[in-house]
Amino acid sequence: MIFNSLAFLIFAAVFFSVYFFLKGRWRLVWILVASYVFYGWWDIRFLGLIAFSTAMDYLFGLYLADTHEPGRKKRVIIASVVMNLGFLSVFKYFNFFAASFAALLHGFGLEASWTTMNIILPVGISFYTFQSMSYTIEIYRGEMKAERDLLKYATFVGFWPQLMAGPIVRAKELLPQFHVERPFEWTRFYSGLGRVLWGFFKKCVVADSLAPFADQCFQAPGSFGSLHLLIGVVFYSFQIYCDFSGYSDIAIGMARIMGYTFPENFRTPYFSRSFSEFWTRWHISLSSWLRDYLYIPLGGNRHGKLGTYKNNMLTMLLGGLWHGANWAFVFWGFLHGLYLIVQRFTTPPWRRLVQWTRMPAWLDDGMAMAAVYVLTLLAWVYFRAGSMGGKSFEVANTVLAGIFSGEGFSWEAVINKFQVMKGFLLIAMLLSIEISNIRYHWNQLQLISPAWRMAAFAGLLWLIAFLGTFGANAFIYFQF
Amino acid sequence: MKHFFWFAAFFILLFAGDRLGGYFLQRQVDGSQFRYSRLYGGRAACDILLVGNSRGLTFYQPYMEEKTGNSTFNLSYNGLPMDLANALIEDYVDQYPPPKMLLIDITICDRTNDELLTGFLAYSTYSPRLSALIRTKQAKIWWAGRVSSLFRFNNEIFQRALYYRSRSDADWLLDRVISPKLAASAAENAYDLEPQPYLVQQLAASVRAAQAKGVAVHLVIGPYFPGFQVKNLDQFKSAVEEATGLTVYDYRAALPDPSLFGDYMHANKNGAMRYIDLLLGDGVLKAGD
Repeated sequence: MIFNSLAFLIFAAVFFSVYFFLKGRWRLVWILVASYVFYGWWDIRFLGLIAFSTAMDYLFGLYLADTHEPGRKKRVIIASVVMNLGFLSVFKYFNFFAASFAALLHGFGLEASWTTMNIILPVGISFYTFQSMSYTIEIYRGEMKAERDLLKYATFVGFWPQLMAGPIVRAKELLPQFHVERPFEWTRFYSGLGRVLWGFFKKCVVADSLAPFADQCFQAPGSFGSLHLLIGVVFYSFQIYCDFSGYSDIAIGMARIMGYTFPENFRTPYFSRSFSEFWTRWHISLSSWLRDYLYIPLGGNRHGKLGTYKNNMLTMLLGGLWHGANWAFVFWGFLHGLYLIVQRFTTPPWRRLVQWTRMPAWLDDGMAMAAVYVLTLLAWVYFRAGSMGGKSFEVANTVLAGIFSGEGFSWEAVINKFQVMKGFLLIAMLLSIEISNIRYHWNQLQLISPAWRMAAFAGLLWLIAFLGTFGANAFIYFQF
Repeated sequence: MKHFFWFAAFFILLFAGDRLGGYFLQRQVDGSQFRYSRLYGGRAACDILLVGNSRGLTFYQPYMEEKTGNSTFNLSYNGLPMDLANALIEDYVDQYPPPKMLLIDITICDRTNDELLTGFLAYSTYSPRLSALIRTKQAKIWWAGRVSSLFRFNNEIFQRALYYRSRSDADWLLDRVISPKLAASAAENAYDLEPQPYLVQQLAASVRAAQAKGVAVHLVIGPYFPGFQVKNLDQFKSAVEEATGLTVYDYRAALPDPSLFGDYMHANKNGAMRYIDLLLGDGVLKAGD
């Protein structure tokens, strides 16, 4: 089930109308049942997979808690990680690795006799797998106790607001919240509702309105001029931001209405002044997961410069692969790894230049933000093409060649000017709200002033009705 | 209790703002020079009524008016399907004195475009035909337009109405020369025409409605880029001739010069003028008629 659908509106109405009348375990049962309905709406067959994964990690958690022999604990955590990554490998990466291996053999003049399998990717598998893994790893590390109540653990894994596309909420952040009764609070309700509406604005108004233009550029890149393609890539950068952060906003808001707190997943990432800062503002729950469970265990920055570069690159390559079974996603990760490494070389001389020229802070920040945005844009081309199957590199390279050729770099050569004008208007609205939010904290203001809340909520709904795109388009991150 | 009052006030504000906004936007649409605003505003009387999808925009009105001495009105729009065009044509012949001629590019029957129907919500209050068509084809959208007045203006048609608020759209034409790269690969590309019996029937209904008012109807196939393949065109032409009982004037290969095209499907301004000259030469259009 997707948030921007009529089915979800009905689901939410039924869910909340019952939810606040329940207490204690009945409320958890209701959440779990609703979560499985929410997930099964997409494909009922995969409920078994999530239930099995939940049961196994629950048992692994108990076993880890009850055993004190280090060797045995290690074997259990390995079994848990292998099981979780095994599911990911089979459902998400089997065809990718099989095809890549066949291509490698072909390069050596050998032909593979197998064919790829028709495997359906279970929605949200990358999210709930990582969430489950965080649970057993944290018990193994002694950072949290095992959850002995299966109902609470199953609710944690299946919790519907973030089941499909995150944020990846760590067990130690969410599980303890199920131990405390969450009474209805008007403040949380209004705050959550404001966040949900803002998420819908981002998804329906900005992301889905920009999508057709961006899609068209990647579907037939040879048909468009340089400026048209550049606009398409810029639109994609805002489409993916609003699509994914919109989902996170809706998830965070829904959870807040229910009485639960999720971590933030985005903090205006396109205002980052460096790539290390970008990764503390973009998909925070994934980047912090990779930092804590991959980068730091690999050695982090504790093994000299070369070791740090290696760990940066490995983390970003695997982060790229997490997004999808395509080499273009890996290349996207490679580019970000490269940016992080190169940044370590370029930052000291840049800082010296800033000091030497007495460059004003606004110019320094502005140039840094522009540089980070432009390079991020370049990487997004490969990311977008990553979902286009075997032709992903060809498509990405054609888009970039088209942009850098300069052919047709004129407003006259841009097709669908109405979409372009609307797109830039929406981006300007988004940025003006996000920039002003730094100063005014709109969602706080609405809690203080009922009149402001009324105007803000009504304004958002008017904008959604007037500017939204309603095709029940799925969220991009569902495919990951 | 205070929260109840808050919600009551909120919904009143939401409803009132929506209706007020809708009223304001409707005024903008009504006052526009955009073709459909003129159609439903009683400002579209003409001698020659032109209809097509984006290919119908090659009926370049300023040149046609100059050459024929007749006034023109073009109902064409990018991706306009024949069922929608039929509603527009029937609304026209109901509301205006009969034009001398109705000229239709039959490739408008190529495919349906239910998405475009939603754009016409802004005009649905003036046309029971449009309203019924949208309700049949896009029931959810139609209902959404009833619930929210603002939603009726959430489309490209409204944006165009705003753009043409104080300027004419009569010279709306793709005016560029096809790129050499695209021109060179014309033979490698082909367009699959998807003639739909339903749309051919809609075309026949339009023809009958116009003829019943004494309007002369001419059907044409406009020019395509030389060497560009359009599949099923002959079969489609025969189906149209059979359904309407009219001869289709076929100009698919009438312009051999590649520089007269903006892309494979559309003649540019020079191409459009040459095309109109050919229509005049063949007697489809008549000067001073």
